[in-house]
Amino acid sequence: MSTVGAFCVTLNKDQCINSKMPGKCATCVEICPYGVYGLNGENEVVVQNYNACVGCRLCAEFCPENAIRINPAESELVSRYPWTLGTIEEIHHKALTGSYGLRGFGTMGRTPHFDTIVVVPSQLSSPSPRDKYREECNMQVVIGEETCEKPIRLQYPFIFPAMSYGALSKEAKLALAIAAARTGILTNTGEGGVVEEEPYFANGFEKPERKRKAWEPGGYLAVQWSTGRWGVSADYLNAGDAVEVKIGQGAKPGMGGHLLGEKVTEDVARIRGIPVGSDALSPCRYYDVLTLEDVKKQVEFLRDITNYEIPIWMKLGPSRPYEDVKAAALAGVDAISIDGLVGGTGCSPEVVTQGVGIPTIALIGPAVRALKDLGVHRKVKLFALGGIRGGLDAYKAMAMGADGVGFGSAAEIAMGCRGCMACHQGNCPYGITSQNPKMRERLDPEEIGQRLANFINASAEELKILTMLSGHSDVGELSEEDLRALDVDTAAITGLKLVGYERPLPWWENGHGD
Amino acid sequence: MADAPSVLDAKGKDLRAASTELKSMLAKDSVIVRNSSHLHGLCGGLKSGTIVIEGEGGDYLGVVNAGAVIEMNGDAGKYVADNMTAGTVIVAGDAEYGAAQYCYGGTVVVKGNAGDFTATMNKGATILVGGCVGDEAATYMVAGDVIIVGDAGENLGNYLIRGNIYIQGDWASLGHNCAVVDMGAEDVQKLEALLKKHGLAADAKAFRKIAPLSDKPFYSH
Repeated sequence: MSTVGAFCVTLNKDQCINSKMPGKCATCVEICPYGVYGLNGENEVVVQNYNACVGCRLCAEFCPENAIRINPAESELVSRYPWTLGTIEEIHHKALTGSYGLRGFGTMGRTPHFDTIVVVPSQLSSPSPRDKYREECNMQVVIGEETCEKPIRLQYPFIFPAMSYGALSKEAKLALAIAAARTGILTNTGEGGVVEEEPYFANGFEKPERKRKAWEPGGYLAVQWSTGRWGVSADYLNAGDAVEVKIGQGAKPGMGGHLLGEKVTEDVARIRGIPVGSDALSPCRYYDVLTLEDVKKQVEFLRDITNYEIPIWMKLGPSRPYEDVKAAALAGVDAISIDGLVGGTGCSPEVVTQGVGIPTIALIGPAVRALKDLGVHRKVKLFALGGIRGGLDAYKAMAMGADGVGFGSAAEIAMGCRGCMACHQGNCPYGITSQNPKMRERLDPEEIGQRLANFINASAEELKILTMLSGHSDVGELSEEDLRALDVDTAAITGLKLVGYERPLPWWENGHGD
Repeated sequence: MADAPSVLDAKGKDLRAASTELKSMLAKDSVIVRNSSHLHGLCGGLKSGTIVIEGEGGDYLGVVNAGAVIEMNGDAGKYVADNMTAGTVIVAGDAEYGAAQYCYGGTVVVKGNAGDFTATMNKGATILVGGCVGDEAATYMVAGDVIIVGDAGENLGNYLIRGNIYIQGDWASLGHNCAVVDMGAEDVQKLEALLKKHGLAADAKAFRKIAPLSDKPFYSH
C-alpha cells in the first residue's frame, strides 16, 4: 500500500548545517531509503519527494541540528470517513496498477483490544496484596514437563513468536536470539530456515563449541515446521529446543508466508532453496496433511525425529478458537500459540491484515474453555499473541487463562521500529525487516539484543507488580476474577464481570454463553 | 555387517517402541521390518542404514530421511519420503497421495503408480515414477528432476519455478509457468543412466522435457 502524502516533511533551513555550509552534512540524504531528500545544484539539502515519506522518522532522529520535523498529514482528512486519505490512496493504487495493496506490520485502526479491561487490586475482601519489593513472585512457566526429556523452563512467561529470516534481517534474528538468552525466554526461527548462529546464540553461547555462556541465563529456540518447509531437515528439527507446527498466523490466517522477491537475497535463497529474487509464497496449507488424523501423525513423528526430548508446539491463526484449540490439543502438542487479528506480518494483502480474523481478547476465552473441556488447561500451555504491548496486556491475557504471551510487533519496536508499515518493501531504515546490506549494518545484534532484553525485563517487572498487587505470588494463579470489563461490549465478548454491575452479563451467567 | 539382516516385527508396537528398536538394530545391521502398516512416520530422520519394509507401509514413511536407504517391497501409504534431504527410498508397488513432497535431496523411486500431488514442492531430489502419476504432480517445484514413465493427470508442474520434469507418457493438462522444451543429449544420458540404475523399462529418447517458463513467475498481487 502506498502512503503517498501521509506525512508532512519540514526541513528548517535556519537550523540545517548544510544550508550554511553546503556539503558539510547530508545525513538525511544518506539515511533515507525512500529518496525523500536530495542535493540541489548548490549542494544544498532539499526535500525532493515529500510523497515518498513513510514516517519512519529516522532522519529526524539522526539530524545533528534537529532541523527536521515529520508530522502526520492525515488528520485533516479523517473527518471525511469513510473516504479517508488511506481509502482514497488505496482506490487510486488499485485503479492505476490493477493490483491490490500489500503491506507489512499489522492491523491499523481500532478493534476490540485489552484497553477496555482493567485489573482488580487486592483490598480487604480478597487475599492481601503481595509486596513487590520484598517478596517473591514466581514467573517461570514450564513446557512439556511430563511429556519431554528436555522441558522448556521459561524464566518469564514470554516468547518471541515466529518471524522468519527473510522477513527479518539476519542481524534482527540474532538480536532476538541474544535477547532470549539474556532473559531466559524463547525465540523462534520462523519459517525461513535457521540462521547458523541462532541455536547457540539463543542458548546463550557466542561460539558453536558451547563452552562458556556469554549471555546468562540462556534461552531457547523453537524451530518452525511450516507449510513451505523452507530449510527443513532432520538436523534443522534437532537444532532447536522445541518444534513449532505452524497452522496459521494472526495477520493472514488462511494464507501462507509471503516473502516478496525484493527480499530474496542470495543467502535467503540459499537457505530456502529457491532462485534469488523469486517470490517465496508458502502454501496456505500443508500439502502433506489431508485430515486431522494427519496432523496428529505429524506431531507423533516430529516427537520421534527429535527423540522424544523436546516439546512440540502448535501455532494457530484466529479462526474458530474453541474448535481449533481442541483439535490442536487432541493432536498431542505441549503448547499452543493462538495469534489474534492484531498480529504482525512482514507482508500481507491489505484486506487480509485489516479484515480477517478474530481480535486477541476474543480468542483467549474460547481457547481456555476448549482446554478445560479436555481437562488439559495449564498442562498444555496456551500462549496469546497479537498486539501484546507490555506487562499490562500480558497480565490481562494471562488472567483470562493464557499461560504466557508473545511479543512480536512490540519486539520489533523495541529494536527501533517506528511502525512505518513498509516492512514488505525490504528497505527498513532500522535494518530490522530488510535484506539490504546498507540498512542491515545499522543494526548491531549485541546492542539491539540488549535493548530487547531491557524491554522484556521491564515488561516482566510490570507483570510482577500487577500480579503481586492483586494478591498473587505466582503468575499461574491469575484468574478472570482479577479483571473487569469497562464497557458492555467487552463484557459481552469476554464474559468478564462488568465494572459497577460486578457480574458477567446475564447470558454468561449460566455457563459460557453456549 | 553380518550376513543375515535383523528382523523387526512391529506388530502391536507403537511408533516409539518400534523406532527405538529399529535404531538399536541399525547400529549393527541392516533391518527387515514386518507388519508396520499401522505406524506413521517410521524411519523418520535416519542418517544411515539399510531398511527393507515388507508388505504395506504406513503414512509418512522415511519422513525427513537424511541418508538411509529404505526399500519397500509392497505399496507405500500417503506422503512416502516426505521432506527427505538425502538417501534413497524405493517403493516396489504403488504409492498413495503425496509421494516425495518437499524433498531437498536424495532419490525416490516408485516403481508402480503414484497418486495426486506427487513430488509437490520438490526442492532438489530426483524422483522417478515407473507408472502413472495423478493430478498436480511437481506443483511448485523449485529444483530437482521428476521423471514419469507413464501418464500424468491435470495441472502437471503447476507453478514450476526451477528443475525439470521428464515424461514418457501423456498429460491431461500442464500447469502455469510450464514449457515443453527440447531434450538435449545430456538429458537423454541422464535419463538412461537413472532408468537403468533403478531397473525401469523405458526408452530415454521417447521422453519429453518440461521446464519453467520463468524462474520468477507472475503471481497476481
